[in-house]
Amino acid sequence: MQPETAYQEQELLFKQKKKNLSKKRMDYLLLLLPTLGIFIFFFLLPLFFLFITGFKTFDASSGVGNDWTLENYTKFLSDTFYLGVLWRTVKIALLTTLVAIVISFPVAYQITKANRRIKNYLTLIVLSPLLISMVIRCYGWVILLSNNGVVNNALLKFGWIDKPLTLLYTEFSVVIGMVHVLFPYMVLSIMGSLERIDPSVIRASQNLGASPIRTFFSIVLPLTLPGIFAGSVMVFSLGISSFVTPAILGGPQVKVMSFLTYEQVAVMLNWPYGSAIGFLLIFIATITIIIYSKLLTTSKKGVAIQ
Amino acid sequence: MSYLCLENVVKTFNKTEVVKKMNLEIKQGELVSFLGPSGCGKTTTLNMIAGFLEVDGGKIVVDGKPVHLLPPNKREMGMVFQNYALFPHMTVFENVAYGLKLRKVSKDEIKSRVAEALEMVRLTGYEKRYPRELSGGQQQRVSLARALVIKPKVLLLDEPLSNLDAKLRQEMREEIVDIQKRVGITTIFVTHDQEEALAISDRIAVMYEGRIEQLDTPVEIYNHPQTDFVSRFIGEVNQVQGKVVKTLNNQESLVSFYGYEQILTRHLAKNSVIDFYIRPEKIHISLEPNDGIVVKVDRKMFLGAKTRYILHNKENKHIIADIPNTVLNPDHVQEGKDVSIQWNSEDLLATKK
Repeated sequence: MQPETAYQEQELLFKQKKKNLSKKRMDYLLLLLPTLGIFIFFFLLPLFFLFITGFKTFDASSGVGNDWTLENYTKFLSDTFYLGVLWRTVKIALLTTLVAIVISFPVAYQITKANRRIKNYLTLIVLSPLLISMVIRCYGWVILLSNNGVVNNALLKFGWIDKPLTLLYTEFSVVIGMVHVLFPYMVLSIMGSLERIDPSVIRASQNLGASPIRTFFSIVLPLTLPGIFAGSVMVFSLGISSFVTPAILGGPQVKVMSFLTYEQVAVMLNWPYGSAIGFLLIFIATITIIIYSKLLTTSKKGVAIQ
Repeated sequence: MSYLCLENVVKTFNKTEVVKKMNLEIKQGELVSFLGPSGCGKTTTLNMIAGFLEVDGGKIVVDGKPVHLLPPNKREMGMVFQNYALFPHMTVFENVAYGLKLRKVSKDEIKSRVAEALEMVRLTGYEKRYPRELSGGQQQRVSLARALVIKPKVLLLDEPLSNLDAKLRQEMREEIVDIQKRVGITTIFVTHDQEEALAISDRIAVMYEGRIEQLDTPVEIYNHPQTDFVSRFIGEVNQVQGKVVKTLNNQESLVSFYGYEQILTRHLAKNSVIDFYIRPEKIHISLEPNDGIVVKVDRKMFLGAKTRYILHNKENKHIIADIPNTVLNPDHVQEGKDVSIQWNSEDLLATKK
């Protein structure tokens, strides 16, 4: 009898385990359900309709026509004006990301090294741009950068320039404004990576004969790549799709994709063309992020990048 | 001539001296342990030697040259960290080769020296693995190979075994000593585990409150502790009080321990009361009453090869005795019964305060 009972016992245990497991899976599903619902009904589904609408004809009376067409895409991709806007949008987003990485790294580095109390204050200061309305912050930059703004007046007074520089309504002003809004995301994600570096790893590098600079490039930087990547994805995708900042700081001279979409959908009421432009923007952003992630993964091994 | 010298080294944190005018001389090829409770300054001292902390006073001299003003990357010391501190984004090979690359060693030589170092720690064939694919013991071996491959002047081990489980710890410590002796490298081993220190050191520096209490061979530290702290910290001791009955001559005095009188070969002032220490394994138990100090057996604990007896005498003084089961069969001792204990007078540890 002994082995049989033992066998039965095991069988029972196994069944119970299986039951527990499926119950656990149900729990996970329940927890995910609200977010999943919102994600599917308010993001994936509309996205699908956006995609479909992009292939419809334009109808002046109802917006979206009934016939299928590729015209919206061919119109965009064969017109140098539209392609120029696309290139400018990508360029501004890439520049913003690059500038954000360069200025965020030292900040994140110092914050991680500071003691706890100072760390909290510094983090709060870094996050402060996010507490102010985007519009207010942008008009602040307008005051600083306009032709008779603070910067130009100061430069004129010191006699460093003869006539005001064109700072506002340029790609430069848009990048400045966007870096200002978005760099906290970069700082936070780089900080996350830096904090995970074991301080004794840095000591080990120095102990083996590496100067602080060498240690930075051989150890610290590779180990923060995941954070830089996460930050870049956030800054880039927020940058490439931003609307308010380019609208206020770039004006009509610096048109970007989101502005084009707005123009088509809200002003021209050409919904199919607006959809096509919107979808192209999503497509380009996704492709760029995938290429970026591939580049990072091949350049370094060992530490996983999601 | 000593190889590594600390001269009046001082370290202060927030106005408290954590290392107080420390002096230490270590010979070439010697393995010295820093042993002490946490907060005794052993890791601080090690970090000052490695250069991660600046000295606030005094000098550190290696091979005749002062090094205490050099940054850590110029000190030519190999360090093994408690948590291994391997570079997680590099393979085992790249980890070990790191120090050699910095020294601009040629590619072929790097290859052969890394192979040699990995063979020494018995990890040949693991070159392409990443640290996270290795067990704790293997990671520690890589760390050791990485520290030794650059042929450092001094090897510093910062509690290298404390993250390993008991069995592996013993294996690794034998391996470390074995490699250390083979390479003949001057080594400092920081630990809070006295068994570890006793087992592997040429000499032990017992530290307490930023001071070296005693620097001696393991045997001397155990058998002749020089200070109160060392007696209590190393091994286990019973504290017993002796009253000097009379001074017999210049070398001998008669001392009474709770009525049990013994002649000690040292000169002690009459009527003075002195604290002595006696190790549990040095106590003899006699089943006859009145054959020494009479004590009651509170409890006995079977510990395998020996049995621990917890006893108390009439003055309620607790005494622990460890007796091998081959010497005294624990079945013959009953809890709650009276027995008597005694010891050889030369086993008493008397210490300067």
